[in-house]
Amino acid sequence: MMNQKDNKTPWADSLIASYAAKPESENLGELRFPTRKDEYWKYTRTNQIAKNSWSFQDAEISSDQVENAIDGIKNCVVFINGKFDAPHSIELPKGISVANTDAAVESFAAEKPFNPFRILNEALPQTCLDIAIENNTVLDEAINFVFIYHGKDSVANPFNRVKIGANSSVKWIERHIHIGEHATFGNVCTQIRLGENAYCGMDILQSGTGSSNHHEEIEVSVEKGARYVQNSFTLSGNWTRNNTQVSIVGENAEANLNGFYIPAQKELVDNHTIIDHQVAHCNSNELYRGVMLDQSTGVFNGKVFVRQDAQKTNAFQSNGNILMSDNATMNSKPELEIYADDVKCSHGSTTGQFDDEAMFYLMARGISKSTAQKMLVGAFAADVLELLVHEELHEEIENAIHKKLG
Amino acid sequence: MLSIKDLHAEVEGKSILNGLNLEIKPGEVHAIMGPNGSGKSTLASVLAGNEAFEVTDGSVDFEGEDLLEMGPDERSHAGLFLAFQYPIEIPGVSNINFLKTAINEKREALGQEPISAKEFLAMVKEKAALVELDNKLANRSVNEGFSGGEKKRNEIFQMAMLEPKLGILDETDSGLDIDALRIVANGVNQLRSPERSFVVVTHYQRLLDYIVPDFVHVLYNGKIVRTGGKELALELEEKGYDWIKKEEDQLA
Ligand SMILES: Nc1ncnc2c1ncn2[C@@H]1O[C@H](COP(=O)(O)OP(=O)(O)OP(=O)(O)O)[C@@H](O)[C@H]1O
Ligand SMILES: [Mg+2]
Repeated sequence: MMNQKDNKTPWADSLIASYAAKPESENLGELRFPTRKDEYWKYTRTNQIAKNSWSFQDAEISSDQVENAIDGIKNCVVFINGKFDAPHSIELPKGISVANTDAAVESFAAEKPFNPFRILNEALPQTCLDIAIENNTVLDEAINFVFIYHGKDSVANPFNRVKIGANSSVKWIERHIHIGEHATFGNVCTQIRLGENAYCGMDILQSGTGSSNHHEEIEVSVEKGARYVQNSFTLSGNWTRNNTQVSIVGENAEANLNGFYIPAQKELVDNHTIIDHQVAHCNSNELYRGVMLDQSTGVFNGKVFVRQDAQKTNAFQSNGNILMSDNATMNSKPELEIYADDVKCSHGSTTGQFDDEAMFYLMARGISKSTAQKMLVGAFAADVLELLVHEELHEEIENAIHKKLG
Repeated sequence: MLSIKDLHAEVEGKSILNGLNLEIKPGEVHAIMGPNGSGKSTLASVLAGNEAFEVTDGSVDFEGEDLLEMGPDERSHAGLFLAFQYPIEIPGVSNINFLKTAINEKREALGQEPISAKEFLAMVKEKAALVELDNKLANRSVNEGFSGGEKKRNEIFQMAMLEPKLGILDETDSGLDIDALRIVANGVNQLRSPERSFVVVTHYQRLLDYIVPDFVHVLYNGKIVRTGGKELALELEEKGYDWIKKEEDQLA
């Protein structure tokens, strides 16, 4: 049996040393990173993160750099390397505050797959974005929560806590932007609780660099009659892993998880979702689409639990992928575990090449190859883009996709 | 305008065109008939530049240029148009957007200014009327959920929008009802001009009552084996292809 100490990631001590406050626990030494044998991490290598030396940093960032990153984005609330940046932020609306986290809240999900990133965030959480919306409140102006990551070997552990009161409605945009040429590591955890008949809609835009690493875990609990919508767009970044876990705990509730990803070169994008239907009469919908270019890798794993009491569940899941190159890879795995008998569940996963016939049709009308590709990829992405909570992002995302296609 | 010499083409190692010759001059209408599987659509695909077909021998000259050296988009810019036998559906790409892009890419290739929104809309209205295409269809995704006949009308609508020098119509008449056949044929006739030529692939003499051809060719086993005037179509209608097949098979 190996000594726990031996499992220590080499950078754990210096990481703790660089952490501003005294951490609740100093047991990071037990932090173990997954290997191929850990089912939950089967297709996603973490060794480049495990072996790098990370630390919390207040590295210089010029106002220009920040302004450049948030150029054209309205109503920003900015976090730089996990810390609130008041100068570039709007005055926080009622119900939204930023505090130092005393301790991250433990996971409330029934399923707890092995996740060292979460352990890291829990042990050393940074500024907490606290969204606490009272009952019967509507916040319908779009707020952009912008998380900027920069600096050599810097880690950021933002922790966000959201509580939406009964009959309230909230929406926001989350942007995660890695900048600069150095290795960065953004490690976000968000917990969202929707009260009865509440609505929460969010669009997440992730953009990274050739050496960025981004892990994002979102845990949601949905009460009776509530509706949750989450759309994530991974537009760039060397390594991106998203875990979303939704527990549907009240009847007549709904959860919608959608995403689009377009990795290029050696980028990796991994979306893992778990939807846990614990009670009857609820719906869940998932639509994830991806276009893999060059030598990139995509991973999708969608787990749906329908517990014994969750009769009359409608659970729909679809994952569609296009491989644009012979060297691109996609690993897609839907997993349904159904313990109730009166339910409607469907899942579909497709991975295919680009449609040559459609390409030829467009080109035969005088459209160049590159434009035709953009049109077809755009059409493929459109089904996800149509689900945007903030329609105004449509063009921005489409442009980012076009840019990626060159 | 178009000069095809000794054209050989194959798909997946199977030889389909076996030394095909055809000369088309400006303003002419050539009908191509022939039994199923004789290579008519293959010829159309090869001319339009479908890479699924490999040209193994021969040459095609279009307006003094080597057609086979051009990409499908360049062929379109040069003035070639193929109305597909089976137009495919492209969900998520709007018909209008697609046409506007097509027109502007051609204009760009020819060094012209992009079309103005106003000019484009006026053109859509005019050309849609030509084939009596329902305006609503123009706003939907390319061919998505169109009926067979609507797809064919949409092909001719696109042809009218792109104003080619040579239009190749691959069985545009199949799937059209009697009224639609007349409407589409009228549309094509209105596009006829001393400079514009057509290749009309069809199985039925009926279409040729409307679009009267200058020449009728019979394609068999990847070659043109008979050429005549419009009366050849009548003869085929009456006698079928057996007599031609027999004669050709004896020669072979
Ligand atoms: N992609 C392909 N792969 C394999 N064989 C093909 C392919 N396309 C065409 N062929 C074959 O080539 C031959 C000629 O086909 P083509 O479609 O050109 O015939 P056609 O004359 O247009 O017939 P029809 O009158 O039925 O439309 C047929 O035997 C057909 O099966
Ligand atoms: Mg055919």
